[in-house]
Amino acid sequence: MTLSPGAVEWLLAFADDEHMMGARHASWIGLGPFLEEDLAFCSIAQDELGHAIALYDYLTDDLDRFALLRQPGEYRSSWLSELPCQRWDEALVRHWLYDRAEALRWGSVAHSSVPGLAQLAARAEREESFHREHAEMFLSRIACGDDAGRAMISAALEGMLPQALALWEPVAGEAEAVADGVTDATSAQLGDRWHGLVSRDLARWGIRVDWPAASVGQNERTVRSAPFAELYASLQEVINIDPSATW
Amino acid sequence: MKTFEVFLKKDGKDEFRHAGSMQAPDAQMAIPLAREVYARRAEGDLMWLVDRDNLIVADPGLLAPNADKGHRHNDGKRVADHRKAQRAEVDGAAE
Repeated sequence: MTLSPGAVEWLLAFADDEHMMGARHASWIGLGPFLEEDLAFCSIAQDELGHAIALYDYLTDDLDRFALLRQPGEYRSSWLSELPCQRWDEALVRHWLYDRAEALRWGSVAHSSVPGLAQLAARAEREESFHREHAEMFLSRIACGDDAGRAMISAALEGMLPQALALWEPVAGEAEAVADGVTDATSAQLGDRWHGLVSRDLARWGIRVDWPAASVGQNERTVRSAPFAELYASLQEVINIDPSATW
Repeated sequence: MKTFEVFLKKDGKDEFRHAGSMQAPDAQMAIPLAREVYARRAEGDLMWLVDRDNLIVADPGLLAPNADKGHRHNDGKRVADHRKAQRAEVDGAAE
């Protein structure tokens, strides 16, 4: 099956999000709040990288170069996934926001016209149910602890809501991807569902948030955020030692 | 934080075996964390967690007197040594 340009953009945006989330989560290796959580969080990072590889397989025969050596403007990652989140509370809140979104994206390809994508979605969902449970367990305990915990979540959340909303800015050609049956929902539809799920969690945790009116404006995901440069450099650090090497 | 002892069982006739110990904030969180620590390579199909606070622990002093009762160790080595010596004796007499 030849993918339409819109389908390619849609899959690339998903794959790049998974890649950046995996890379960002993995930066917590050895730094997690306790050993067991360190392992769990890095296991989640590995799962996301696995999803990225599986999605990149639709787009390239040269995985490493494609994943690591494109020009910044050729990536379609969301600004949420590019955020460094160097504080544990930020990393947790982003993990929750992103995995709520990821589940909806996999759900939207459960009957995709792209061969094998529905099976991939089913496999990913088995991992994602654990990711959501993990995020929910952690945040609900912090939220139910005391006002300081709720304030910490609110602060982290408000700092990244504009970027989170940008997850739902459509890529170029999204209408084509929907018409081709790659996905059965537009970004706007998924964004509405995501807003509902996130709001439901927040209400349960007793956290009130002022939603920003608009997202950051990623121009169909073609513009990278400021923190991307540092992430991009670190992703390329090893492959650039010898780009011709076979790993 | 609480400490949990983790037991895993592979499907079939194998018994539950102690996989190790771990820490978690509470019992509910311990289950998924235990999976990541001890069963992420499918080391088991069934998993038990026991809160260490619920273990009934014997005094090592109770077990110590049994450490020097060699006659309770039926490892066959003494019998084998005895028979080997007897064979050597018979062979020696025949020559």
